[in-house]
Amino acid sequence: MINLIFYLVLIFLGIGIGIVAGLIPGLHVNTTIPLILSLSFFFQSPYQIVVLIISVAITEIFIDYIPSIFLGAPEADTSLSVLPGHRLLLEGRGREAIKLTIIGGLGCLILSLILITLLAPYFQFFYTTTRPYIQYLLILVILFMIISEKKPKKIAFAFFIIVITGLMGLIVLNSPVANQQNILFPTLTGLFGMSTIIISISEKSKIPKQHEDSRLLISPKEIIKAMFLGSVAGIIVGFLPAIGISEAGTMVQYLGGMGDSRGFLVTISGINAANDAFSIISLYLLGNPRSGTSIAIGQILGDLTLFDITFLIGIILFTAGIASLISLYLSKIIPKHLERINYKTLSFLIISLLIFMVFLFSGIFGLLVLFTSTSIGILCAHMEIRRSHCMGLLLVPTLFFFLGITPLFLSLVGI
Amino acid sequence: MPKIEPIIILSLVCSIAGLVLIYISSLYIEPTKLKVSDITPELVGRFVVTNGKISSKKTTDAGHVFLTVSDNKSSIQVPLFANFMNSLKDNGLSENKIKVGYEVSISGLLEEYNGQLQIIPRKITDFKILSD
Repeated sequence: MINLIFYLVLIFLGIGIGIVAGLIPGLHVNTTIPLILSLSFFFQSPYQIVVLIISVAITEIFIDYIPSIFLGAPEADTSLSVLPGHRLLLEGRGREAIKLTIIGGLGCLILSLILITLLAPYFQFFYTTTRPYIQYLLILVILFMIISEKKPKKIAFAFFIIVITGLMGLIVLNSPVANQQNILFPTLTGLFGMSTIIISISEKSKIPKQHEDSRLLISPKEIIKAMFLGSVAGIIVGFLPAIGISEAGTMVQYLGGMGDSRGFLVTISGINAANDAFSIISLYLLGNPRSGTSIAIGQILGDLTLFDITFLIGIILFTAGIASLISLYLSKIIPKHLERINYKTLSFLIISLLIFMVFLFSGIFGLLVLFTSTSIGILCAHMEIRRSHCMGLLLVPTLFFFLGITPLFLSLVGI
Repeated sequence: MPKIEPIIILSLVCSIAGLVLIYISSLYIEPTKLKVSDITPELVGRFVVTNGKISSKKTTDAGHVFLTVSDNKSSIQVPLFANFMNSLKDNGLSENKIKVGYEVSISGLLEEYNGQLQIIPRKITDFKILSD
């Protein structure tokens, strides 16, 4: 009984840390894990520290959408939620946007656990069968993204944005100047967040009074489709190296016909949750850690037994339930404070906070990256093409990796 | 000729100028040079350069080569993935020319995998045999 109470205390402590880390732009779960590990001498059993890590990681999945949607300050995994989320916020439906991410996260967590159980014996086969064809799928997605603009002028613009962001990705992700763990924060914040805020200021937008009614304006059929795509994509991200949540989100958006803001928020949040669940369970299924969280758990517990994995799934589900309720509550109170502040003042405050956080995490080089990526984000918006073309930032380097031409490219440009 | 909005020109100029500056900074800033024993987990995510002797070598069926590089005090893992090995081979350095006991220089991204630190070279000049 005392043991159970102690675990509950640890879970709530983890949820508390996860809320703080989730609300501060730029703080990723991989940044908080080393801090938790440094406190390991306080714990009597390895399970205690694992419980703390999981509860922090799962809470962050849900809370990360609050700064992403309300402030336009995304993490790498939530960057694609900024635009549909901000759109709903400016329609007074910010609470509904958060609710959609919660439904996506919880639904896909459960659905992915079922899918993982059913498909467990086939993952190795899926991996070896699909691995040689990933580059063709990526080429198809990029072509589809460009052609979907339809008009020749916009097709040319889309091609330009994918090329320029792709070049930026190849340089930034291979630059010895910056720490690779922090460099995606300024890049994605500029492309999706900062540029959106600057455009909103110039268009004199303001955060309207948010609707008390947070009913979901999406059909149950669309939610189920979005959840299914999110769960499958999340699992795929889990077992395919180099494909991240944002790349998978872009693929689902184009190949799965997820253009609608609401459905897409369900999917992107679902990919995030399903990926986290898979990365932890893959420790048992494949003996192979797939994320910062699972690496830490693997190091602490060693080889996992079926009992271990059942225990961890229990912690994941319990934490997800509590974190969802807290996220829902925060989505109710935060907009009330935001509405009271003049939008222009609020935007300048957010911009100052983002610049400060970028400087703190990645120094002057991070500021240069933020400036450039914000310019590209603004350029893309004024060209009146979809902002998701900026995902060339990750899609092009991933394509180069799978084509095996990254070493050649880097030698050519001399980085 | 259609009129281009000044904001498009301004953001285009800023985007390209920024990209050029990022490229130039990346070109002239060298990775941190360290002894193997000075490489710690706090440096994960940074690019580093180190020298050491190959103390073990393992080749997989998929064509990956896993090296352990050591100095007098400690050692570090250096995975040379199949794609990278192909690039080395195209430049005259095949797998059988990399032998245990050789002194090498490695530069690349420092990562942590399964609790062990590893340096991942990205381009062919990141891996050099200094002496046999």
